[in-house]
Amino acid sequence: MAMPRRYSGSRFALAILVLISVTLISLDARGYAPVGNLKKAGIVIVQPFRSLARVVFSPVGDAWESLSNGDNLERENALLRTQLDDLLSYRIANEGAVNDLEALRTQLGLQGLGGHETVVAEVTAGSVSNFDPYILEINKGTQSGIREGMPVISTGGLIGRIENPGLRDSRVRLITDPTVNIGVLAIGTKEIGILSGNGVDQPMRVLDGIPISAPVEVGSILVTSGLDRSPYPEGFAVGSVVETLADEVNLEKELLVEPTGEMDNLDFVTVVLYQPSNLE
Amino acid sequence: MGIALIRNFVVLLFLLVLQLELFSSLRFFGVMPELLLAAAIAAGWYGGPLGGALIGFSSGLFYDFYLATPLGLNALTYAIIGYLLGQIGAFLSDEAEWVIRITISIASVTLGLTLFVIFGELIAEPNLYNRNFGKILVISSLYTGALLFPIHYMMAWAFGSDRITPSGFDRRLG
Repeated sequence: MAMPRRYSGSRFALAILVLISVTLISLDARGYAPVGNLKKAGIVIVQPFRSLARVVFSPVGDAWESLSNGDNLERENALLRTQLDDLLSYRIANEGAVNDLEALRTQLGLQGLGGHETVVAEVTAGSVSNFDPYILEINKGTQSGIREGMPVISTGGLIGRIENPGLRDSRVRLITDPTVNIGVLAIGTKEIGILSGNGVDQPMRVLDGIPISAPVEVGSILVTSGLDRSPYPEGFAVGSVVETLADEVNLEKELLVEPTGEMDNLDFVTVVLYQPSNLE
Repeated sequence: MGIALIRNFVVLLFLLVLQLELFSSLRFFGVMPELLLAAAIAAGWYGGPLGGALIGFSSGLFYDFYLATPLGLNALTYAIIGYLLGQIGAFLSDEAEWVIRITISIASVTLGLTLFVIFGELIAEPNLYNRNFGKILVISSLYTGALLFPIHYMMAWAFGSDRITPSGFDRRLG
């Protein structure tokens, strides 16, 4: 049995490191700006190495993705082809619906995207943590006018909001995150509820706000309500109802909602340069 | 001392870039390895408690820059794990089988991930403890364990260890 080696001072050093860590954690959790700036500085310093590594490793990542998701891609392709055929035949029959929708928007006082400037950004990375899969990284930041909390959309609707924007990059917090709540309005009704994320590959939920008698059914589209203090402008499609559950006690409907915005295999997203009037 | 510092910085930077740009895509069942935690563990074996704590703190801090959790959460966890491994390494006989050392390393990854989540829960960080926690623990520990050999080589080089030869390497991580 070998004699144990002694390392003098290591316990003291650990105590100091723990103290520094706890101080950093508490300062960052309170939003102390210099700590946030330290984070951003660290990211900027490493960025050139990351960019180089991205060029080198992205083919490996792509190959891995195509290997591991090959079946999904084939299924997705077949589904998209069917949808394209359906849409082409549907388009002619529903040209008039566009005018109807516009009339409905006017009637409900909803705005389209046209009222706000947008920035298209490339998705540079997904989540880099095992414990927080609700993150995307994009290659545009405050230099392009992006600010904290701005809505991010992809094909189909709202997918998230900006979090911790840097000078040339930002993080997008996806709406599937259980900590994200969005005020939504069911199209065709005046019913407003709170939509919450429910985790990866799980339908989002509206637990409160929709009376049991409300005409919100499977297939109903939910859009952002844009009510007071909402960080999102009104009228952005968020999800479609896939299931309704009656809560007989509170006389409310629980809605299970699939996001309408595309969230998988994203290459580009659009950031809406919108800030609520109470923040401007 | 100066050269060891530079070498350690180079290794940590390399592992950080690998973690962010390669292994965040190479996931098994949606789970990726924890290279920087593995670096803290390897640093504990080669640098003792002090080296393990310092390198663990640095590697955790590097990783913290890219996470939504508060700065310092990974640094705290990895520093403790690096220190613990250093202490275990100091008390473990040099003749201990490499299987024992590998098992201890993998168990340390599991402990590190658990500690991270516990510390996160203590400061009310959302999302850390979720329905996938068990899956993440098992897969990430094994996945990281599979990558421990090259990381040990890198750390041995960073610390200028003479145990980088195959026989010495086996003895240390082996």
